[in-house]
Order: sequence, then C-alpha cells, then structure tokens
Amino acid sequence: MNQSMALMVRAYHSRVARVMQQTFQLLFPVILLGSSAEVLQFVFLTASGYVATIFNVTHWLPFDRQLSALMAIIYRCTLGMVGMYGAYGTAYFTVKVYRQKSSPSAGLIGLLAFLMIAFQARSGGRVTFNPLLMTEGLLVGMLVGYVCGRILSAFKNRRSDLQEMMWRLTLIFVLAVSVNWLMSFLSRTGSLSIMAISGTQPTSGNALSFVLMMGALTELLSWLGIGGPYTASPTFTDPASIANLNHALKTGSPWNAPHPYTDTTLFHSYANFGGNGVMLALIIAILIFSKRANSRTISKWSIFPALFNSHYAMMVGIPVLFNPIFLLPFILVPIVNIIIAAIFLALHWLPAAVYPVPAGTPGPLIAFLGTNGNWVSLLLGIFLIVLDVLMYAPFIKLAERVQKSAGELK
Amino acid sequence: MTWKKRHWLIALISIVMGVAVIGVSLQWSRKNVSQLAQRHNSTIVPLIMIPGSSATENRFDSLVKELNVNRRNPHSLLKIRVAKNDHLTFSGEMRPRDRAPIIVVGFENNHDGYSNIKNQARQFNLAFKALNERLSFSRFEVVGHSNGGLIFTVFLEKDYSQYANEVQVTKLMTIGSPFNFNERNVNNKTQMLSDFIKNRKKLPTNLNVYSVAGTQNYTSDGIVPLTSVMASRYIFQGQVKHFTTMTVSGSNAQHSDLPQNRQIVNLINHYMLTAKRRRQVRLNEPVLH
Repeated sequence: MNQSMALMVRAYHSRVARVMQQTFQLLFPVILLGSSAEVLQFVFLTASGYVATIFNVTHWLPFDRQLSALMAIIYRCTLGMVGMYGAYGTAYFTVKVYRQKSSPSAGLIGLLAFLMIAFQARSGGRVTFNPLLMTEGLLVGMLVGYVCGRILSAFKNRRSDLQEMMWRLTLIFVLAVSVNWLMSFLSRTGSLSIMAISGTQPTSGNALSFVLMMGALTELLSWLGIGGPYTASPTFTDPASIANLNHALKTGSPWNAPHPYTDTTLFHSYANFGGNGVMLALIIAILIFSKRANSRTISKWSIFPALFNSHYAMMVGIPVLFNPIFLLPFILVPIVNIIIAAIFLALHWLPAAVYPVPAGTPGPLIAFLGTNGNWVSLLLGIFLIVLDVLMYAPFIKLAERVQKSAGELK
Repeated sequence: MTWKKRHWLIALISIVMGVAVIGVSLQWSRKNVSQLAQRHNSTIVPLIMIPGSSATENRFDSLVKELNVNRRNPHSLLKIRVAKNDHLTFSGEMRPRDRAPIIVVGFENNHDGYSNIKNQARQFNLAFKALNERLSFSRFEVVGHSNGGLIFTVFLEKDYSQYANEVQVTKLMTIGSPFNFNERNVNNKTQMLSDFIKNRKKLPTNLNVYSVAGTQNYTSDGIVPLTSVMASRYIFQGQVKHFTTMTVSGSNAQHSDLPQNRQIVNLINHYMLTAKRRRQVRLNEPVLH
C-alpha cells in the first residue's frame, strides 16, 4: 500500500504531471466561462432547453435570440476550441518545466502545430478546421503541445538562436503536416471511425451488459477528454427510445416499456448526474470532505454548469482528466448507479424513463420527468447521489494525501 | 456562529428552490406528456371497412392486398368478427407505428333486411367501442360495401353522437349501397330510406361522403338498381360537408365484384387513406459536453 502510495506521489511529482497541472490551471477559467456560456445558451436561451421550457424564457425575455448568439460566440471560442488552448498551454509549460526557463514562443509553436494538424486542406480554399479535433481534441492538443515542447527543449547545442529555432520549427511543421496528411488519408479510407465515436449508437442489443460496456467506455474516453459513444444528454432519437415512447403514449403509462435497459433509461437517467462520472457527486463530496481551499473554490464555481450536466469545468479544475486517482471512481460510480437502477427496473419497482426531457435537465430530474413524475425514481436519484458522494470520499482523501506528500517532496 | 448560520441559510434556500423547481418541472411534465399523447394518438387514422350481406370479415382481403401493392409502409389489416351473441373476436395484427391501419368489421349474422341491418349497426357500435378503447384514435374513415354502407349510416344517425366529442369520422365511402333496397322508383320509399331521411339532421356536418355505384347497364349493377344507390343524395346532400357521387362501369362493375374493381381501388387510394401526418414529436437536439 505504502509502495503504491509512493509510486503515486512520484507520478504526481513527475514533470509530465506538473505540465498537465499547470496547463489545466491555465485552462480552467476559460473552460468554466465557456461551459457556463454553453449552459446559458442551450439550457436557458434555446427553446428546447430545460430552463427555457419550464419557465418559457424565450417567450418573455426580450432579445433572447441575440443573447443566445452572444453566448454561442463565447462557447464556440472557448470550449469549442479547447484542443487549441490545450496545445498552447502544454507546449509552453513543457518548455518551462523541462528547461526551467519560460519561452513565450513555445506556446505559439504548439498552437501552430495543432492548427496545422486540424486544418482541412480539401475545403475549397476556405479556412476550416477538423470540428471533432477542435471540440473533443483536448487529448490530441495536449499531446501535440507536449511533443512540441519536448522538441523545443530537447537539443542543447550552442549555435545561434535563430538558426536553431528555424531547424526545430521546420521539424515540427513537417511532423504536423505529416500527421495532418495521415489523418486525412485515414479518414478518406474510413479507418478513422474509431476516433469519431460520438453520438448515440443504435442500441440494437439493448441488453444490460451492452449499456454497462458502452457506459464504461464513455466514462473512460471522457476521462481521456474524448467524447464517448454516449452523448452527455439523452437524445431520444434511437429506435429503442422511440419504441418506448410510443408504447408509453399508447398505453398511457411508462410501465412495461419494451426496452427497459437502454442508455436513456439507465445511463442518462441515473448515471450521469452533472455529466460523465457523476460530477455532481464529486462536487458535493469535495464541498463536504475536502480541506483544500483551492478544490472547494473550483467546486463552488463548477456547480452552475454541473447542475445542467456540463462537467468540463470540474474535469479540468480538480483535475479529473488524466488523473489516475480519479479513474477508478470515475468509471465505477456510474456503473454502480446503472446496476442499482437496473435492479429497480427488473424488480418493477420503477418504470423506465421514456418521455423526452428538455436539454440540460438537471441529472436527478431526468428520470423523474422521464417517468412523468414517478416519486420512486426521484428518491432513487437522491439515494444514488448520496451513495456516490460516499464512494468519492475516500478518493478525495487519497488525492489530498498524495498532493500533500508530493508537496513535502518538493 | 455566523458561519454556521450562513450554511443553514444556504441549505434552506437551496431546498426551497429545489422543491419549487421539482414542482414546476412536474407540472410541465404532466402537461407535456398529455400533449404528446394527444398528438401521438391523433396520428392514427384507421380506415374501417364494413362488408355487405352474406360476407365475412375476410371480404376485403384481396382489396387490402391490392391497396398495399408497391407500398413501402403497407397498411396493416385488423379484423373484428362479431358473433351472434355479441362476442368480439379480434384477428390480424397492427404494424407498430402504422398511422393508417385498415380494420374490417364482419358479422356472424350477416343477413339482409332492415331489422338485421339495425341489429348489425348495434353490433358495430360494440365493435367500434372496443376498437376505440384499444387504439384510441381521434379520427377515422369508413368504407362500406353494399349493406355495410347502410349499417354505418344507421350507426351514424343513432350511436355516433355519443363519440362525436372525442372521435370524428372524416370520410365515408359507400360502394353500391342500396339505400332504397331493390326499389327502382325513388318515390316508393322503403321504411329504411324514410328513417334515414327523417334522422338525417343527426349526420355530422364535417363529413365527406363519396357514394360509388357500379353499373353493368344504364340502370343497375346486376343486383342493386342505380336509383337505389343514388337515393343516398336525399340523405346526405345538403347535410354533410361534401357529397360526391361516382359511377363505375366496365369490367368488374357487377355488384359483388365492386371491391375488386380497379377503379374503386384507385378511388379508395385517392380519396380515402390520405389523412395528413401530424408533425413528429420535437426531439432533444443540442448536445452538451
């Protein structure tokens, strides 16, 4: 136990970890504002959003469309391009950490390399970038930034600065262009589909094990900063959901739905409170158990987007992204929730959540509204949150112990 | 102390807000689901078919097959057989999400004569009630062949008013229906025709009626005189929204062949079964990260 603890402390104190921490620190305010703008746009100012639907916002608020468009600008330029900022930050901090010297050009070069990779050459002269890389590309961006940073800080020869710079820049550009070419080649031949698993897949085999597997995969990829097979909010467009809805509307009740185990009835209804990894539970757990002022502040700030299932701020703020301490609960907590909800469904203590809910409906309310006000589902949601908070608590304490030891190591 | 007080205050406020949000959301959900249900159910517009005398609920099998030729989403065929003791037997199946299923109501007592027709109309009412409970539609259309048209007209004038608030019949097509039985002269009104005309004010005013007659010669389809079919104008014309008469001749224009007649199949395809689909349920579009 002590050994693994020591290992974790060492890992935490490693240079890569420090680069990531500093990058996340740089990104957090940008991402917090971005995800708040996203929530304001989609949940408050779009007619299909939760708050807009419940309180009819778009009817009485003047200039709601203009406000929504402004929010879209903020969201698109922050969260919508997060890969770019990741590349900038990682490249800058990699050079800073590895060379103990800050170099402003490093960030710029990382950013450039990322843009070169994301640029789509075959778009008829217009400037377009790979949309998937821009929004879900934090992992790719940080990898690009890291590689750039390492190249910039690697060779230590004594030639004139400018000449050396040109060599390295050329190397980075060649690398970036080849990656770009490779990606467009792969995507043209169709073998890049593994990178594009976003959107709900048809739940043809709607067995419980399928939902569990896809749920776990979603959490794992989300922990890596990539969108998984399950989207953040239920879409209600997959065949199983439509069949469930039709059955419910025909019989007038959500009971005995034909597909009780789907991503909507299990994953989104009970395992996605506050976004992937039940972020709402982590926030509550930190506010109750954490002694670190920094974590508590970040959690407080992240409550607003997390209430409406936008979890990005927490992922970067704590950070949970790429953080081995939180990998286990991040996958385990939603899986436990799915299993408990499936037991309730199997025993017919609960109807399946079949009615569509507006975008950004707060996590515990998805099942409640999806069953048209079944109180058991609300109580189960509250119970699951309490359980999840308790499950997160030991990991928060572990993270703080590791951080403390790492601090002493310094 | 103030620190603790502040925390209690925050907890209290969030609980009150939470309860309020749950209440408002629940209210919205109830309204939304009832709207969804309404919209969903109103999208089913069944076509009810009633065969003539001496025919069973299987009378229209070949007609339905004909209607479904080359259709990507064929109409499903559901049959109801009403036994002499009023017992209902359902057969056939409904394709899921079929917006225009065809439902044939046949009677074990399928004999001719006004008293039998009145009894069949009473039995049709039973079948209709059961059907509406199962499918809960808000609009429907009717095709009646021969006496089937008479049975439905009796139903319209007698029992329909009890449903009129929830269920609307939008279209009726009678095919070779002898509204004056075998009487050639309209001035000799049978008891049935007199009753129909007497009660015509009870017919729904938003109904479209198509009265189709078959003709082997200029006066008859071999069994029913043309004047008897055309007597329907004294019942419907001026009372319902639109009343159209059509005469079909050529091959398969004999009274019993009419349901297989190509022209009539085309007429059914063209005038009936054309209820517009309502808009689909709005889906949850934006995807949050």
